[in-house]
Amino acid sequence: MTEATDLAERAGDRDPRVGLRAVAALRRLLEQLESVQVRSARNQGWSWQEIAAELGVSRQAVHKKYGRH
Amino acid sequence: MFERFTKDARAVVQGAVEHAEGAGARSVDAEHLLLSLLDREAGRASFALAALGLGSAGRRESVRGALAGARRRAGLSRAETDALAGLGIDATEIVARVEEVHGVGAMSGGRAGGARRPGHRGLGRDAREILEKALRTAAARRDRHIGDEHLLLALTLRPGVPAEVLADHGITHGSLTRVLYGGGEAEAG
Repeated sequence: MTEATDLAERAGDRDPRVGLRAVAALRRLLEQLESVQVRSARNQGWSWQEIAAELGVSRQAVHKKYGRH
Repeated sequence: MFERFTKDARAVVQGAVEHAEGAGARSVDAEHLLLSLLDREAGRASFALAALGLGSAGRRESVRGALAGARRRAGLSRAETDALAGLGIDATEIVARVEEVHGVGAMSGGRAGGARRPGHRGLGRDAREILEKALRTAAARRDRHIGDEHLLLALTLRPGVPAEVLADHGITHGSLTRVLYGGGEAEAG
């Protein structure tokens, strides 16, 4: 595909479905990344408080989501 | 909900739980339902899959391989990966970098939470949606029981990795409806 047709295609791509799908996919990717990083921090002995501070959320929120059930 | 499931459908759900446990997944997901359906050698779903070309071990292995490929993309479907690429985000690159640091498969886990004890895996949200869709599919067809074929039909109805992989192998809601219920019938939405 040439650059011109590629650009033309993108410019015309106003389909909300594509944009919404990208947001949903990004959210899922984010959830997975968060899970990996939180587990890694816990394995290295970080407290819930420390993890929460870095994530910018409350300690309760992060513990509720990732703490043992 | 399960009381109306046929023996075959219950076996599929049980098999899905085993797949989830075997993979160390945090929840039983739609993907595990599909893997379990692929294992079956009896039942209406198995018959339909065979009729649509998934009778051979090689073709079934191809489906399993495609599902494994999606796990390497953090469980994102190709449509989702493409949507992210449209934003300039390379999901496979992110997965590769995370795996460099945290090990292969680090990004293929469930959505949240620490590892649960065996036998305590819940159904993930997508798997619950599949069961609900199977229920509705059976109801719409006025079938009194929910069979494994309804689970398979439901998998093709929910956008995501299993539906995409099935479609790549020629298994869509339309083709399934044809082999299960005969041709000429209007497709349900």
